[in-house]
Amino acid sequence: MSGLFLRNIRKDFGTVRAVEGIDLAFAEGELTALLGPSGCGKTTLLRMIAGLEEPTGGTIMLGERDISRLPAHKRRFGMVFQNFALFPHLSVRENVAYSLVIAGVARGEAAAEADRLLDLVQLGSFGDRRIGELSGGQRQRVAIARALAQKPEVFLLDEPMSALDAKLREDMQVELRMLQQRLGITTIVVTHDQREAMTMADKIVVMSDGHVEQVGPPHEIYHQPKNAFVADFIGKANFFDGRVEGGQVRVGKTLLSVTPPAKFTNGSAVRIACRPEKPYLDSADAEGTRLQARITFVRDVGPVRDIHLETDIGPMVVEYALGETDRAFRLGDTTQVTLPPAALHVFPEPPEGAAA
Amino acid sequence: MSGAGMVEARIELPAGAVVAAPEKRRMPAKGAALWAVVVFLCVTPFLLVLTISFGQKIEGAGWEWAMTLENYQRVFVGASWPDEVTFLYLQKLYYSLYYAVIASVLAVLTAFPFTYLMTRLSRRAQARWLVFILASLSLSEVFIVMGWDVLLSNRSGLPMVFKATGLTDWLKAVGWFDILREWGLANPRNVKFKTSEFATILTMTYLVWPYAVILLYPPLSRLDHSMVEAARTMGAGPWKVMSTVILPSVRLPLVGAILLLFVFLLGTYVAVTVFAEPAKQTMAVSVYDAVRGNTLNAPFGAAQAMVLLATAAVFLSLGHVLSRRAEAGA
Repeated sequence: MSGLFLRNIRKDFGTVRAVEGIDLAFAEGELTALLGPSGCGKTTLLRMIAGLEEPTGGTIMLGERDISRLPAHKRRFGMVFQNFALFPHLSVRENVAYSLVIAGVARGEAAAEADRLLDLVQLGSFGDRRIGELSGGQRQRVAIARALAQKPEVFLLDEPMSALDAKLREDMQVELRMLQQRLGITTIVVTHDQREAMTMADKIVVMSDGHVEQVGPPHEIYHQPKNAFVADFIGKANFFDGRVEGGQVRVGKTLLSVTPPAKFTNGSAVRIACRPEKPYLDSADAEGTRLQARITFVRDVGPVRDIHLETDIGPMVVEYALGETDRAFRLGDTTQVTLPPAALHVFPEPPEGAAA
Repeated sequence: MSGAGMVEARIELPAGAVVAAPEKRRMPAKGAALWAVVVFLCVTPFLLVLTISFGQKIEGAGWEWAMTLENYQRVFVGASWPDEVTFLYLQKLYYSLYYAVIASVLAVLTAFPFTYLMTRLSRRAQARWLVFILASLSLSEVFIVMGWDVLLSNRSGLPMVFKATGLTDWLKAVGWFDILREWGLANPRNVKFKTSEFATILTMTYLVWPYAVILLYPPLSRLDHSMVEAARTMGAGPWKVMSTVILPSVRLPLVGAILLLFVFLLGTYVAVTVFAEPAKQTMAVSVYDAVRGNTLNAPFGAAQAMVLLATAAVFLSLGHVLSRRAEAGA
């Protein structure tokens, strides 16, 4: 194979359109994260790729081959389910060997291959255990080994970390990513957790309301969000609504300079997004629009400090990492905040009722 | 009917215990009273029948206390043992088991795909089906047997339909009529379903079918459908999914349902009296004949009831042992 391609994929459930005209390419050996809030259609899209859901329209191509109408058991894409869906009536080894045994591989050979895969996910000595005796993290490893046993051309994971606790989740994200890179297998992960997507993915597909908002590598999605939804959903952002005035943006009485200049006609309503780590506080040499601000709240969580400000253009949050400044910020202090032009992303104002 | 009654009382005992246990923890006095009622209701009739089974019939009158094994001897080897050995009543026990095994297995096997498909419907549709199935339980055995009696009768039922539509002639033409005759399902002129094992088992299956659905519904609706999908993504077609995922996941409830319906069917009375040939009547019918029928021999009826009860107990504990072993393996 050489990649998986979706062309104009649609899915309707009755009168509800769950997925709307999606075109995507998944390059061979790449890990792609489908990221979006719940109900955005990402799981439906993954299930269509697996063959568990039939698209209402569009084609799915595996290399040159049209697999749109191929049933799940003929596609044989390994899939890890949200609840892992392990078979409680089989042992760990039998679970992993399942796809091999039903494909007619001799039992001894299948068991040996299962043991090799269990070694790969660091569960080498667990082959004889029952599923009920495993912890959440161990179950996830078994589910991964089981999905990989059939050497799938595409490896699918549906919210694989959601059943794990926070600490384990971060470890498993790194571990899964390393395993995927080692095997070089085309992988698609569905998640609603932007940190998870940023940790693991070569490419992130941000979805909302059944369509794609932005596709790109993690840093691009973070630093150059295409619209207000992406800016809000990925990471944190301060938002200001204003109007364009000669390439600059007026918010209340303040004129904010932006680079590149806003390419909207004068007077059009726009929304500005600004990442909290971008503005400077009390910095004389920083370039950008300078505003008077009052500190309303300080949140110190160790590695970062969030300083909540009240300014002429509205409330905002500025984030300082540990060691970035030795300044103390106290509640009620007045200060000056500088917004560098390049840190301000200008989007058309989203319609009433839309997210972000 | 005391045979059937005893079997049912035996099944109800653990259910009563389950109800009583939490009561007891909260209020000892109330709990003890409840226990007393349960024990009285379940144990007294049982002890009575047990005692009577060792009693003696008085010709032309009732029965009297005695400590004789005569009644049991008659059940197992006949009244004139050791001069002559007859297995008449063991044969009745055999037919009890024979009908009950086949009918309970058939009911569960046919209810299984139905119930599985039912659990795949929308919540609303499932609720409708369940209400319908539960409502059908209100039909009494007498009512159901009457219905099938008419449906299978030679002069007004299916045989007339066979004849009128030419199906009988077609069966004769292709030679299958002779096979039906061999099976006792036809006389020289037309098909006949009464009396036959076929009609007996069919009606008994029909009788317990709604129970089979109700017993299978909880385990099947709890079945995690993502396991089915996982199997599909690993290359399992529909039949492989059924044999490697669904059936193994519900095999204990399946066996349990068969056992429960089997024990229930051991006491079938009306269906057997109406549909089984005289030579193939069951022990439950024989119990009733002895206690209330023309022979009027309560001790002998009680002995048969005890044997039937012991048989049910053996099968239930066998099932229990098997499921224990399966669970230990699982």
